[in-house]
Amino acid sequence: MTLLEVENLRTYYTEDDGGLVRAADDVSFSIEPGETLGLVGESGSGKTTIAKSIIRLLADNAEIVDGSITHRGTEITDLSKKALNREIRWSEISMIPQNAMNAFDPVYTVGEQIVEVITVHERGTSTAEAMERARQLFEDLGIDPDRVDDYPHQFSGGMAQRAMIALALALNPSLILADEPTTALDVVIQDRILETIKRMQEEYDSAMILITHDMSVVAETCDRIAVVYGGRIVEIGDAETIIDDPRHPYTLGLRNAFPDITADDQALISIPGTPPDLVDPGEGCRFAPRCPFADEECWEVTPHPVEYEPGHLVECHRADEKAFLQAEAEKRETWLGQEVGDPTADRAPVEEVDD
Amino acid sequence: MGLRAYVLRRIGQLLLTYFVFLTILFVLFRMMPGDPTSVFILEGLPAEAREERIEELGFNDPLYIQYFDYMRQLMTGEFGDSIIYREPVVNIIWDKVANTLFLMGSSLILAYTIGILGGALMGWYRGTRFEKIGIVGVLTARSSPEFWIGIILLSVFVFWLGWFPAAGMRTVGLDSGEGIWRFLNRDFLWHLFLPMLTGAIFFTATPALLMRNTMLDVLDEDYIEVKEAEGLPERRILYRHAARNSILPVVTVLAIVTGAAMGGSVIIETVFNWDGMGRAIVDAVNRRDLPLAMAAFFIMGSLVIFMNFVADIAYVYLDPRVEYE
Repeated sequence: MTLLEVENLRTYYTEDDGGLVRAADDVSFSIEPGETLGLVGESGSGKTTIAKSIIRLLADNAEIVDGSITHRGTEITDLSKKALNREIRWSEISMIPQNAMNAFDPVYTVGEQIVEVITVHERGTSTAEAMERARQLFEDLGIDPDRVDDYPHQFSGGMAQRAMIALALALNPSLILADEPTTALDVVIQDRILETIKRMQEEYDSAMILITHDMSVVAETCDRIAVVYGGRIVEIGDAETIIDDPRHPYTLGLRNAFPDITADDQALISIPGTPPDLVDPGEGCRFAPRCPFADEECWEVTPHPVEYEPGHLVECHRADEKAFLQAEAEKRETWLGQEVGDPTADRAPVEEVDD
Repeated sequence: MGLRAYVLRRIGQLLLTYFVFLTILFVLFRMMPGDPTSVFILEGLPAEAREERIEELGFNDPLYIQYFDYMRQLMTGEFGDSIIYREPVVNIIWDKVANTLFLMGSSLILAYTIGILGGALMGWYRGTRFEKIGIVGVLTARSSPEFWIGIILLSVFVFWLGWFPAAGMRTVGLDSGEGIWRFLNRDFLWHLFLPMLTGAIFFTATPALLMRNTMLDVLDEDYIEVKEAEGLPERRILYRHAARNSILPVVTVLAIVTGAAMGGSVIIETVFNWDGMGRAIVDAVNRRDLPLAMAAFFIMGSLVIFMNFVADIAYVYLDPRVEYE
């Protein structure tokens, strides 16, 4: 049975001036038990909004305006706050935030905080039993169990992140949301933490949504990858397909922007331009202004996901020209030579200036 | 280990601060305009008796000898004779200190309890009507002069409803007992209520606003979001995590305000005819009763220094991040 099903999710932020930011705009995907899904995209692409919608941890000015999120058949968007706290949060879905150093309350020991979440959710468990479990978790994660009595500020960054993983696993959840869990750490530790997350996730048989902007992280860790751009999932498929055989120009561009350790050629190519403004984005493909392959249809018609291989969905009008796109995307000139701008709207004035 | 060294070091600092404070007090009173002999000695003495008294008080000694004498006298609680009351200062001052301690102590406890809880709720319910009404209420209280609050309370509860006495600390002629029972009895508490409420209304604003502002910062912290994700009940997050972290600056302010309140209660004491320190200081200064004024300053200063020490120690227990170095 599918663990989590997200269908046509729309989460909008209302800005102070009344503008609507469509941070998640018609997002659909699902996760099987034990599976790891990577959500990859630039900052501001909406990946964190998607994750926070799942656990309903949105800011006051954000709202799930449409769509459904079901966890083992339970509609999360309809739950009362109480039921959400009791049935979903942490017991079923927990999270590992970006900066674990700030994720613990500074005035309690880490052990006390693990004990708190256990005893609040499990009425019958005594403090002593809960503390024993906290120590066990620390041991599993390679931290000296006696450190449960330490305060958060006494932990190093990597150690705090491990402690955070311990906290996330305390109730043995079916799904863990890991939001850039290694971004705040230095590179050497990053890799070890990723390994730890992966190992613990298998041991505890939890599914995971791993949010990152780092292609190499998802490549190592995930079973499936969803590429997020402008509040939409533009390409989703199993990890090998997305890494080795993608169809969306944005995925191709992202792949170029990260070093491949196994390859000799280390020339990185960045995608020019900036992510789209999600206030009233209008019709057309949102990547078109930065896409070297955009044609008239791309500017005018919003693309919809098309399934090319089983489980591989791409939201691009030209995704059927796979061989051409892949070949062209590898060349540096492709990404330099494009004009940034809407040809139907901007081209005329630009020509006037040229005159 | 660390904690003990920390406390010892704080005590060392306390003594040093105290020494500086006493020295300043000495210099201040010797530098005051006018002949010190004329203010330390009762008027109307014959010339020889006056000379004798000057010699006795040591005003003919070199300044450093006077300084040591002064230190010794303060340490042993000898403040000299009050000009106004014509009796030793010690006989009158402790009563006034106790009166003010009861008045201001109860005011501050009430004000900080309500202020901390109210401020926490205002921060938590940001942007709601509750917060707006709360802020307006708190700012109104803050901007109202104490005497005005006192008069309003008097008009309502005394002259209109007749529930409380208009002034004073005890019903004349009523035997109120000995020692602590002079204060812990119904009659005294009945007299205490209105002046205490006046002070409480005035003092609530600072902790309430400070608490609210700190709450707003704390609520933005990552760990609050994690606690929400953990599915902890809202009240638990509010009190055990958000308010608990926001209370730290309030403790510091409380320490400072406590000292100030001891001397600054003069208006409330005047409105309610309360025989406390604030009035004693103003009286003493106005009538150039320097022995009494000096004793009052000494006690007030001691209290401020001591409260700061208490706040430092309290911080160790409230915030594990305080370093004992």
